[in-house]
Amino acid sequence: MKYSIARFWREREGHYRLLGRKCRSCGRVNYPPSSVCRYCGSKDLEDVELLEKARVLTWTVIHTAPEGFEEYRPVIIAIVELLESKARILTRLTDVEPEDIREGMIVEPVLRRISEDGDSGIIHYAIVFRPLVSGGGSDGGG
Amino acid sequence: MEPEGSTGIVGWGAYIPRYRLPLKEIVRVWGFSPETPAGLRTIEKAVAGDDEDATTMGWEAARNALLRAGIEPSRIGGVWFGTESKPYAVKPSATIIAHALKITPETMATDLEFACRAASEALRLAIGAVASGLIDYGLVIGSDTAQANPGDILEFTASSAAAAFIIGPSSEAAAVFEASYTYVTDTPDFWRRAHMHYPLHGEAFTGEPAYFHHIVSAVKGLFEKTGLKPSDFTYAVFHQPNGSFPLRVAAKLGFPKEKVLPGLLTPYIGNSYNASALIGLAKILDQAKPGDRVLVAPFGSGAGSDAYSLVVTEGVLDKQGRAPKVGDYLERKKVIDYGLYAKYRRLIHRIR
Repeated sequence: MKYSIARFWREREGHYRLLGRKCRSCGRVNYPPSSVCRYCGSKDLEDVELLEKARVLTWTVIHTAPEGFEEYRPVIIAIVELLESKARILTRLTDVEPEDIREGMIVEPVLRRISEDGDSGIIHYAIVFRPLVSGGGSDGGG
Repeated sequence: MEPEGSTGIVGWGAYIPRYRLPLKEIVRVWGFSPETPAGLRTIEKAVAGDDEDATTMGWEAARNALLRAGIEPSRIGGVWFGTESKPYAVKPSATIIAHALKITPETMATDLEFACRAASEALRLAIGAVASGLIDYGLVIGSDTAQANPGDILEFTASSAAAAFIIGPSSEAAAVFEASYTYVTDTPDFWRRAHMHYPLHGEAFTGEPAYFHHIVSAVKGLFEKTGLKPSDFTYAVFHQPNGSFPLRVAAKLGFPKEKVLPGLLTPYIGNSYNASALIGLAKILDQAKPGDRVLVAPFGSGAGSDAYSLVVTEGVLDKQGRAPKVGDYLERKKVIDYGLYAKYRRLIHRIR
Protein backbone atom coordinates (compact mmCIF):
# COMPACT_ATOMS: atom_id res chain seq x y z
CA MET A 1 0.00 0.00 0.00
CA LYS A 2 1.51 3.29 -1.11
CA TYR A 3 -1.16 5.70 0.06
CA SER A 4 -2.51 6.47 3.52
CA ILE A 5 -5.95 4.90 3.94
CA ALA A 6 -6.61 7.14 6.94
CA ARG A 7 -5.92 10.29 4.95
CA PHE A 8 -8.36 9.39 2.21
CA TRP A 9 -10.98 8.38 4.79
CA ARG A 10 -10.57 11.74 6.54
CA GLU A 11 -10.91 13.66 3.28
CA ARG A 12 -13.69 11.66 1.67
CA GLU A 13 -16.49 14.10 2.50
CA GLY A 14 -14.68 16.86 0.64
CA HIS A 15 -13.75 14.59 -2.24
CA TYR A 16 -17.22 13.07 -2.72
CA ARG A 17 -19.26 16.27 -2.33
CA LEU A 18 -16.74 19.01 -3.14
CA LEU A 19 -17.00 20.81 0.17
CA GLY A 20 -15.96 24.41 0.63
CA ARG A 21 -16.56 26.81 3.52
CA LYS A 22 -18.86 29.81 3.29
CA CYS A 23 -18.10 32.82 5.47
CA ARG A 24 -21.10 33.89 7.53
CA SER A 25 -19.63 37.42 7.81
CA CYS A 26 -18.81 38.37 4.21
CA GLY A 27 -20.72 35.61 2.40
CA ARG A 28 -17.82 34.47 0.22
CA VAL A 29 -16.97 30.85 -0.36
CA ASN A 30 -13.52 29.61 0.59
CA TYR A 31 -12.03 26.79 -1.43
CA PRO A 32 -10.03 24.84 -0.43
CA PRO A 33 -11.87 24.85 2.91
CA SER A 34 -10.19 26.87 5.62
CA SER A 35 -10.94 27.69 9.26
CA VAL A 36 -10.36 31.43 8.69
CA CYS A 37 -11.98 33.37 5.82
CA ARG A 38 -9.21 34.37 3.47
CA TYR A 39 -11.26 37.39 2.33
CA CYS A 40 -12.28 39.02 5.64
CA GLY A 41 -10.48 37.09 8.39
CA SER A 42 -13.67 35.90 10.10
CA LYS A 43 -13.63 32.54 11.86
CA ASP A 44 -17.40 32.13 11.45
CA LEU A 45 -17.63 29.71 8.51
CA GLU A 46 -19.90 26.80 7.52
CA ASP A 47 -19.42 23.82 5.21
CA VAL A 48 -21.12 24.14 1.80
CA GLU A 49 -21.45 21.64 -1.03
CA LEU A 50 -20.08 23.04 -4.29
CA LEU A 51 -21.69 20.72 -6.85
CA GLU A 52 -22.31 23.58 -9.28
CA LYS A 53 -21.69 24.20 -12.93
CA ALA A 54 -18.49 26.09 -13.65
CA ARG A 55 -16.56 27.80 -16.44
CA VAL A 56 -13.04 26.87 -17.46
CA LEU A 57 -10.55 29.68 -16.78
CA THR A 58 -7.30 27.98 -17.72
CA TRP A 59 -5.86 24.50 -18.13
CA THR A 60 -2.78 22.44 -18.80
CA VAL A 61 -2.26 19.03 -20.38
CA ILE A 62 0.12 16.62 -18.65
CA HIS A 63 1.56 13.91 -20.88
CA THR A 64 4.21 12.72 -18.40
CA ALA A 65 1.93 11.75 -15.55
CA PRO A 66 3.17 10.66 -12.13
CA GLU A 67 3.21 6.98 -11.19
CA GLY A 68 -0.32 5.73 -10.61
CA PHE A 69 -1.90 8.10 -13.14
CA GLU A 70 -0.68 6.44 -16.35
CA GLU A 71 -4.19 5.14 -17.19
CA TYR A 72 -5.54 8.68 -17.27
CA ARG A 73 -2.97 10.20 -19.65
CA PRO A 74 -3.18 12.80 -20.99
CA VAL A 75 -4.19 14.27 -17.63
CA ILE A 76 -5.97 17.61 -18.03
CA ILE A 77 -5.75 19.90 -15.01
CA ALA A 78 -7.85 23.07 -15.01
CA ILE A 79 -8.86 25.99 -12.85
CA VAL A 80 -12.62 26.44 -13.08
CA GLU A 81 -14.81 29.14 -11.56
CA LEU A 82 -18.14 28.01 -10.12
CA LEU A 83 -21.06 29.89 -11.67
CA GLU A 84 -22.95 30.57 -8.41
CA SER A 85 -20.47 30.72 -5.54
CA LYS A 86 -17.61 32.08 -7.72
CA ALA A 87 -15.16 29.80 -5.92
CA ARG A 88 -12.21 28.74 -8.04
CA ILE A 89 -11.36 25.05 -8.06
CA LEU A 90 -8.21 23.27 -9.20
CA THR A 91 -9.61 20.11 -10.76
CA ARG A 92 -9.15 17.45 -13.41
CA LEU A 93 -11.24 17.62 -16.60
CA THR A 94 -12.69 14.40 -18.00
CA ASP A 95 -14.71 13.26 -21.05
CA VAL A 96 -13.03 15.80 -23.29
CA GLU A 97 -10.06 15.86 -25.66
CA PRO A 98 -7.38 18.53 -25.05
CA GLU A 99 -7.94 20.10 -28.47
CA ASP A 100 -11.63 20.68 -27.74
CA ILE A 101 -11.20 22.66 -24.50
CA ARG A 102 -12.03 26.36 -24.72
CA GLU A 103 -11.72 29.21 -22.24
CA GLY A 104 -15.18 29.84 -20.80
CA MET A 105 -16.42 26.32 -21.60
CA ILE A 106 -19.18 25.33 -19.18
CA VAL A 107 -18.45 22.18 -17.20
CA GLU A 108 -20.28 20.23 -14.50
CA PRO A 109 -19.19 18.09 -11.53
CA VAL A 110 -19.12 14.28 -11.69
CA LEU A 111 -17.80 11.58 -9.37
CA ARG A 112 -14.91 9.66 -10.94
CA ARG A 113 -11.93 7.52 -10.00
CA ILE A 114 -8.98 9.82 -9.40
CA SER A 115 -6.40 7.17 -8.50
CA GLU A 116 -6.09 3.68 -7.12
CA ASP A 117 -3.53 2.05 -4.91
CA GLY A 118 -2.25 -0.61 -7.31
CA ASP A 119 -4.39 -3.66 -8.12
CA SER A 120 -5.21 -4.55 -4.51
CA GLY A 121 -5.46 -1.26 -2.61
CA ILE A 122 -8.16 1.35 -2.12
CA ILE A 123 -9.82 3.03 -5.11
CA HIS A 124 -9.98 6.81 -4.66
CA TYR A 125 -13.08 8.62 -5.88
CA ALA A 126 -13.55 12.38 -6.11
CA ILE A 127 -15.46 15.09 -7.93
CA VAL A 128 -13.93 16.22 -11.23
CA PHE A 129 -15.51 18.27 -14.04
CA ARG A 130 -16.69 17.42 -17.56
CA PRO A 131 -18.43 19.32 -20.39
CA LEU A 132 -22.19 19.62 -19.89
CA VAL A 133 -24.25 16.65 -21.05
CA SER A 134 -26.97 19.05 -22.20
CA GLY A 135 -28.10 22.61 -21.83
CA GLY A 136 -25.61 25.14 -23.12
CA GLY A 137 -22.26 23.37 -22.92
CA SER A 138 -19.98 22.46 -25.78
CA ASP A 139 -19.06 18.80 -25.61
CA GLY A 140 -16.58 18.66 -28.42
CA GLY A 141 -17.40 14.97 -28.83
CA GLY A 142 -17.75 13.24 -32.19
CA MET B 1 -55.25 -3.63 -4.58
CA GLU B 2 -51.98 -5.57 -4.58
CA PRO B 3 -49.45 -4.57 -1.87
CA GLU B 4 -47.38 -2.95 -4.61
CA GLY B 5 -50.17 -0.45 -5.24
CA SER B 6 -49.18 1.77 -2.33
CA THR B 7 -45.75 2.35 -3.91
CA GLY B 8 -44.32 3.89 -7.05
CA ILE B 9 -41.33 5.47 -8.75
CA VAL B 10 -40.87 8.97 -7.33
CA GLY B 11 -37.60 9.60 -9.18
CA TRP B 12 -35.65 7.96 -11.97
CA GLY B 13 -32.29 8.58 -13.58
CA ALA B 14 -29.96 7.10 -16.15
CA TYR B 15 -26.36 7.34 -17.21
CA ILE B 16 -24.62 6.30 -20.42
CA PRO B 17 -20.87 6.87 -20.75
CA ARG B 18 -19.62 9.04 -23.60
CA TYR B 19 -17.63 6.51 -25.59
CA ARG B 20 -19.04 4.22 -28.31
CA LEU B 21 -17.31 1.27 -29.94
CA PRO B 22 -18.72 0.44 -33.39
CA LEU B 23 -19.19 -3.34 -33.53
CA LYS B 24 -17.41 -3.44 -36.88
CA GLU B 25 -14.26 -2.77 -34.84
CA ILE B 26 -14.71 -6.13 -33.07
CA VAL B 27 -15.26 -7.75 -36.46
CA ARG B 28 -12.02 -6.16 -37.71
CA VAL B 29 -9.88 -7.17 -34.74
CA TRP B 30 -11.21 -10.68 -34.13
CA GLY B 31 -12.05 -11.79 -37.67
CA PHE B 32 -15.77 -12.35 -37.22
CA SER B 33 -18.18 -12.41 -40.15
CA PRO B 34 -19.16 -8.83 -41.09
CA GLU B 35 -22.78 -9.99 -40.80
CA THR B 36 -22.53 -10.70 -37.06
CA PRO B 37 -23.54 -7.23 -35.74
CA ALA B 38 -26.59 -7.19 -38.02
CA GLY B 39 -27.64 -10.58 -36.63
CA LEU B 40 -27.53 -9.05 -33.16
CA ARG B 41 -29.37 -5.93 -34.42
CA THR B 42 -26.74 -3.81 -32.70
CA ILE B 43 -24.55 -1.07 -34.22
CA GLU B 44 -22.46 0.30 -31.35
CA LYS B 45 -21.89 -0.30 -27.67
CA ALA B 46 -21.30 2.20 -24.86
CA VAL B 47 -17.89 2.02 -23.21
CA ALA B 48 -17.06 3.51 -19.81
CA GLY B 49 -14.01 5.78 -19.79
CA ASP B 50 -10.72 5.17 -18.01
CA ASP B 51 -11.88 6.90 -14.81
CA GLU B 52 -15.31 5.25 -14.67
CA ASP B 53 -16.66 2.09 -13.10
CA ALA B 54 -20.02 0.72 -11.94
CA THR B 55 -19.86 2.91 -8.83
CA THR B 56 -19.27 6.22 -10.61
CA MET B 57 -21.93 5.46 -13.21
CA GLY B 58 -24.37 4.41 -10.48
CA TRP B 59 -23.65 7.66 -8.64
CA GLU B 60 -24.67 9.75 -11.66
CA ALA B 61 -27.84 7.76 -12.34
CA ALA B 62 -28.78 7.99 -8.64
CA ARG B 63 -28.08 11.73 -8.58
CA ASN B 64 -30.42 12.18 -11.54
CA ALA B 65 -33.06 10.11 -9.73
CA LEU B 66 -32.68 12.32 -6.64
CA LEU B 67 -33.08 15.48 -8.75
CA ARG B 68 -36.34 14.10 -10.12
CA ALA B 69 -37.59 12.87 -6.73
CA GLY B 70 -36.92 16.22 -5.06
CA ILE B 71 -36.57 14.64 -1.61
CA GLU B 72 -33.98 15.03 1.13
CA PRO B 73 -31.43 12.23 0.56
CA SER B 74 -31.45 11.40 4.26
CA ARG B 75 -35.07 10.20 3.94
CA ILE B 76 -33.89 7.21 1.88
CA GLY B 77 -33.80 4.16 4.13
CA GLY B 78 -32.37 1.58 1.74
CA VAL B 79 -29.75 1.69 -1.03
CA TRP B 80 -29.57 -1.44 -3.17
CA PHE B 81 -26.91 -1.68 -5.85
CA GLY B 82 -27.32 -4.39 -8.48
CA THR B 83 -24.21 -5.22 -10.50
CA GLU B 84 -21.98 -7.99 -11.74
CA SER B 85 -18.98 -5.71 -12.20
CA LYS B 86 -18.20 -4.61 -8.67
CA PRO B 87 -15.07 -2.44 -8.47
CA TYR B 88 -14.28 -4.27 -5.21
CA ALA B 89 -14.97 -7.99 -4.85
CA VAL B 90 -15.52 -7.25 -1.14
CA LYS B 91 -16.51 -3.69 -0.12
CA PRO B 92 -19.91 -2.35 -1.09
CA SER B 93 -20.43 0.19 -3.83
CA ALA B 94 -23.78 0.99 -2.17
CA THR B 95 -22.08 2.67 0.79
CA ILE B 96 -19.80 4.78 -1.44
CA ILE B 97 -22.78 6.08 -3.41
CA ALA B 98 -24.92 6.52 -0.28
CA HIS B 99 -22.13 8.48 1.39
CA ALA B 100 -21.42 10.62 -1.67
CA LEU B 101 -25.13 11.49 -1.98
CA LYS B 102 -25.50 12.26 1.74
CA ILE B 103 -27.89 9.37 2.35
CA THR B 104 -25.76 7.84 5.12
CA PRO B 105 -25.66 6.88 7.95
CA GLU B 106 -29.28 5.92 8.79
CA THR B 107 -29.92 3.61 5.87
CA MET B 108 -29.63 0.02 4.75
CA ALA B 109 -27.09 -0.38 1.96
CA THR B 110 -25.88 -3.43 0.10
CA ASP B 111 -24.75 -4.76 -3.27
CA LEU B 112 -26.74 -7.57 -4.89
CA GLU B 113 -25.65 -10.08 -7.53
CA PHE B 114 -27.90 -12.07 -9.88
CA ALA B 115 -26.23 -11.61 -13.28
CA CYS B 116 -28.31 -8.95 -15.11
CA ARG B 117 -31.26 -9.18 -12.73
CA ALA B 118 -29.94 -8.12 -9.31
CA ALA B 119 -31.28 -4.56 -9.59
CA SER B 120 -34.68 -5.90 -10.61
CA GLU B 121 -34.84 -8.07 -7.49
CA ALA B 122 -33.82 -4.90 -5.61
CA LEU B 123 -36.91 -3.18 -7.03
CA ARG B 124 -39.13 -5.81 -5.44
CA LEU B 125 -37.21 -5.50 -2.16
CA ALA B 126 -37.68 -1.73 -2.20
CA ILE B 127 -41.37 -2.05 -3.02
CA GLY B 128 -41.79 -4.43 -0.09
CA ALA B 129 -39.86 -2.25 2.33
CA VAL B 130 -41.82 0.88 1.37
CA ALA B 131 -45.20 -0.88 1.28
CA SER B 132 -44.63 -2.33 4.75
CA GLY B 133 -43.74 1.06 6.21
CA LEU B 134 -40.23 -0.08 7.16
CA ILE B 135 -38.71 2.80 5.16
CA ASP B 136 -40.04 5.98 3.50
CA TYR B 137 -37.97 5.71 0.31
CA GLY B 138 -35.63 3.17 -1.25
CA LEU B 139 -32.92 3.76 -3.88
CA VAL B 140 -32.38 1.01 -6.46
CA ILE B 141 -29.39 1.20 -8.79
CA GLY B 142 -28.50 -1.08 -11.69
CA SER B 143 -25.01 -0.40 -13.03
CA ASP B 144 -22.51 -2.44 -14.98
CA THR B 145 -19.30 -2.20 -16.93
CA ALA B 146 -20.08 -5.61 -18.40
CA GLN B 147 -17.14 -7.86 -19.16
CA ALA B 148 -16.69 -10.38 -21.96
CA ASN B 149 -13.83 -12.61 -22.96
CA PRO B 150 -12.11 -10.69 -25.79
CA GLY B 151 -13.03 -12.34 -29.08
CA ASP B 152 -16.10 -14.07 -27.59
CA ILE B 153 -19.48 -13.39 -29.18
CA LEU B 154 -20.52 -11.70 -25.90
CA GLU B 155 -17.98 -8.96 -26.54
CA PHE B 156 -20.21 -7.53 -29.26
CA THR B 157 -22.84 -6.44 -26.77
CA ALA B 158 -21.27 -6.32 -23.26
CA SER B 159 -21.46 -2.59 -22.51
CA SER B 160 -21.60 0.05 -19.78
CA ALA B 161 -24.51 2.11 -18.41
CA ALA B 162 -26.56 2.69 -15.26
CA ALA B 163 -30.15 3.31 -14.21
CA ALA B 164 -31.57 4.29 -10.82
CA PHE B 165 -35.02 4.55 -9.27
CA ILE B 166 -36.29 5.98 -6.01
CA ILE B 167 -39.25 4.01 -4.75
CA GLY B 168 -41.67 5.80 -2.45
CA PRO B 169 -45.34 6.30 -1.67
CA SER B 170 -47.75 6.12 -4.61
CA SER B 171 -49.12 9.57 -3.73
CA GLU B 172 -45.80 11.14 -4.83
CA ALA B 173 -45.08 8.79 -7.72
CA ALA B 174 -44.51 9.45 -11.41
CA ALA B 175 -45.60 5.86 -12.00
CA VAL B 176 -47.43 3.53 -9.59
CA PHE B 177 -46.70 -0.19 -9.34
CA GLU B 178 -49.88 -2.17 -10.01
CA ALA B 179 -48.43 -5.62 -9.52
CA SER B 180 -45.25 -7.66 -9.83
CA TYR B 181 -44.36 -11.31 -10.31
CA THR B 182 -41.06 -13.23 -10.17
CA TYR B 183 -40.05 -16.54 -11.79
CA VAL B 184 -36.65 -18.15 -11.05
CA THR B 185 -35.05 -21.58 -11.60
CA ASP B 186 -31.52 -23.04 -11.49
CA THR B 187 -30.36 -22.72 -15.11
CA PRO B 188 -26.67 -22.90 -16.23
CA ASP B 189 -26.83 -20.35 -19.06
CA PHE B 190 -24.10 -17.91 -17.94
CA TRP B 191 -21.63 -17.72 -15.06
CA ARG B 192 -18.31 -16.36 -13.88
CA ARG B 193 -16.34 -18.31 -11.30
CA ALA B 194 -14.53 -16.58 -8.45
CA HIS B 195 -11.25 -14.86 -9.46
CA MET B 196 -12.01 -15.22 -13.18
CA HIS B 197 -11.90 -12.07 -15.32
CA TYR B 198 -14.58 -13.06 -17.81
CA PRO B 199 -17.86 -15.01 -17.79
CA LEU B 200 -18.68 -18.13 -19.80
CA HIS B 201 -22.02 -19.07 -21.29
CA GLY B 202 -23.78 -22.35 -21.85
CA GLU B 203 -24.41 -21.80 -25.57
CA ALA B 204 -27.66 -23.70 -26.17
CA PHE B 205 -29.03 -22.60 -22.81
CA THR B 206 -28.88 -18.89 -23.60
CA GLY B 207 -32.05 -18.51 -25.64
CA GLU B 208 -35.03 -20.79 -25.14
CA PRO B 209 -34.37 -22.42 -21.72
CA ALA B 210 -33.09 -19.19 -20.16
CA TYR B 211 -34.14 -15.86 -21.66
CA PHE B 212 -37.38 -16.81 -23.36
CA HIS B 213 -38.67 -19.37 -20.84
CA HIS B 214 -38.16 -17.12 -17.82
CA ILE B 215 -39.46 -13.88 -19.30
CA VAL B 216 -42.50 -15.55 -20.85
CA SER B 217 -43.23 -17.34 -17.57
CA ALA B 218 -42.90 -14.14 -15.52
CA VAL B 219 -45.08 -12.07 -17.83
CA LYS B 220 -47.73 -14.80 -18.10
CA GLY B 221 -47.66 -15.09 -14.30
CA LEU B 222 -48.31 -11.36 -14.05
CA PHE B 223 -51.15 -11.60 -16.57
CA GLU B 224 -52.81 -14.46 -14.65
CA LYS B 225 -52.42 -12.59 -11.38
CA THR B 226 -53.90 -9.33 -12.68
CA GLY B 227 -56.10 -10.24 -15.64
CA LEU B 228 -54.12 -7.79 -17.80
CA LYS B 229 -53.32 -8.53 -21.45
CA PRO B 230 -50.88 -7.06 -24.03
CA SER B 231 -53.47 -4.65 -25.43
CA ASP B 232 -53.77 -3.02 -21.98
CA PHE B 233 -50.18 -1.76 -22.17
CA THR B 234 -48.83 1.34 -23.93
CA TYR B 235 -45.21 0.16 -23.73
CA ALA B 236 -43.36 -3.09 -23.05
CA VAL B 237 -39.71 -3.18 -21.96
CA PHE B 238 -37.83 -6.47 -21.84
CA HIS B 239 -34.26 -7.35 -20.91
CA GLN B 240 -32.14 -6.43 -23.93
CA PRO B 241 -29.11 -8.73 -24.40
CA ASN B 242 -29.16 -7.81 -28.10
CA GLY B 243 -31.51 -5.96 -30.43
CA SER B 244 -33.29 -9.11 -31.54
CA PHE B 245 -34.37 -11.07 -28.43
CA PRO B 246 -36.72 -8.36 -27.04
CA LEU B 247 -38.69 -8.25 -30.31
CA ARG B 248 -38.90 -12.07 -30.42
CA VAL B 249 -40.10 -12.38 -26.83
CA ALA B 250 -42.60 -9.58 -27.48
CA ALA B 251 -43.98 -11.50 -30.46
CA LYS B 252 -44.28 -14.68 -28.35
CA LEU B 253 -46.31 -12.74 -25.78
CA GLY B 254 -48.45 -10.87 -28.30
CA PHE B 255 -46.91 -7.39 -28.11
CA PRO B 256 -46.42 -5.52 -31.41
CA LYS B 257 -42.93 -4.16 -31.96
CA GLU B 258 -44.27 -0.57 -31.87
CA LYS B 259 -44.74 -0.98 -28.11
CA VAL B 260 -41.21 -2.31 -27.65
CA LEU B 261 -39.05 -0.08 -29.88
CA PRO B 262 -39.39 3.14 -27.77
CA GLY B 263 -37.65 1.41 -24.85
CA LEU B 264 -35.15 -0.64 -26.88
CA LEU B 265 -31.66 0.85 -26.51
CA THR B 266 -29.36 -2.09 -27.21
CA PRO B 267 -28.90 -1.24 -30.92
CA TYR B 268 -27.22 2.03 -29.85
CA ILE B 269 -25.51 1.20 -26.54
CA GLY B 270 -25.28 -2.60 -26.30
CA ASN B 271 -26.34 -4.71 -23.33
CA SER B 272 -25.69 -2.84 -20.10
CA TYR B 273 -26.62 -5.88 -17.98
CA ASN B 274 -28.18 -4.62 -14.73
CA ALA B 275 -29.16 -1.39 -16.48
CA SER B 276 -30.41 -3.14 -19.62
CA ALA B 277 -34.20 -3.23 -19.16
CA LEU B 278 -34.15 -0.54 -16.47
CA ILE B 279 -32.58 2.11 -18.69
CA GLY B 280 -35.29 1.21 -21.19
CA LEU B 281 -37.84 1.96 -18.46
CA ALA B 282 -36.06 5.25 -17.70
CA LYS B 283 -36.34 6.25 -21.37
CA ILE B 284 -40.05 5.40 -21.36
CA LEU B 285 -40.61 7.54 -18.24
CA ASP B 286 -38.70 10.38 -19.95
CA GLN B 287 -41.44 10.50 -22.60
CA ALA B 288 -44.51 8.88 -20.94
CA LYS B 289 -47.88 10.55 -20.54
CA PRO B 290 -50.26 10.23 -17.59
CA GLY B 291 -52.38 7.11 -17.93
CA ASP B 292 -49.82 5.12 -19.91
CA ARG B 293 -49.39 1.56 -18.66
CA VAL B 294 -45.89 0.05 -18.87
CA LEU B 295 -44.80 -3.59 -18.69
CA VAL B 296 -41.21 -4.12 -17.57
CA ALA B 297 -39.61 -7.57 -17.55
CA PRO B 298 -35.89 -7.71 -16.70
CA PHE B 299 -34.03 -11.03 -16.87
CA GLY B 300 -30.89 -12.39 -15.27
CA SER B 301 -28.93 -15.52 -16.05
CA GLY B 302 -28.86 -18.28 -13.55
CA ALA B 303 -31.85 -17.62 -14.14
CA GLY B 304 -34.87 -15.47 -13.38
CA SER B 305 -37.22 -12.77 -14.57
CA ASP B 306 -39.55 -10.27 -12.91
CA ALA B 307 -42.59 -8.72 -14.52
CA TYR B 308 -43.91 -5.35 -13.34
CA SER B 309 -46.98 -3.40 -14.35
CA LEU B 310 -46.73 0.36 -13.86
CA VAL B 311 -49.32 3.08 -14.46
CA VAL B 312 -47.95 6.55 -15.19
CA THR B 313 -49.44 9.44 -13.20
CA GLU B 314 -49.78 13.21 -13.68
CA GLY B 315 -46.66 13.54 -11.54
CA VAL B 316 -44.43 12.36 -14.37
CA LEU B 317 -44.73 15.61 -16.32
CA ASP B 318 -43.16 17.84 -13.69
CA LYS B 319 -40.28 15.44 -13.10
CA GLN B 320 -39.26 14.72 -16.71
CA GLY B 321 -37.27 17.94 -17.17
CA ARG B 322 -35.47 17.98 -13.83
CA ALA B 323 -32.45 15.93 -14.95
CA PRO B 324 -30.73 14.87 -18.18
CA LYS B 325 -32.80 12.37 -20.18
CA VAL B 326 -31.64 9.10 -21.69
CA GLY B 327 -31.80 10.82 -25.08
CA ASP B 328 -29.32 13.47 -23.90
CA TYR B 329 -26.81 10.78 -23.03
CA LEU B 330 -27.47 8.97 -26.33
CA GLU B 331 -26.65 12.14 -28.25
CA ARG B 332 -23.45 12.79 -26.32
CA LYS B 333 -21.02 10.36 -27.88
CA LYS B 334 -17.45 9.98 -29.00
CA VAL B 335 -16.66 7.05 -31.29
CA ILE B 336 -13.46 5.20 -30.35
CA ASP B 337 -11.46 2.34 -31.84
CA TYR B 338 -10.65 -1.07 -30.35
CA GLY B 339 -7.33 0.16 -28.97
CA LEU B 340 -8.87 2.88 -26.77
CA TYR B 341 -11.70 0.53 -25.77
CA ALA B 342 -9.12 -2.07 -24.71
CA LYS B 343 -7.29 0.56 -22.65
CA TYR B 344 -10.43 2.02 -21.06
CA ARG B 345 -11.85 -1.39 -20.10
CA ARG B 346 -8.46 -2.66 -18.94
CA LEU B 347 -8.22 -5.51 -21.42
CA ILE B 348 -4.52 -4.70 -21.53
CA HIS B 349 -2.88 -5.71 -18.25
CA ARG B 350 -0.06 -3.52 -17.01
CA ILE B 351 2.29 -4.03 -14.08
CA ARG B 352 1.26 -1.42 -11.52
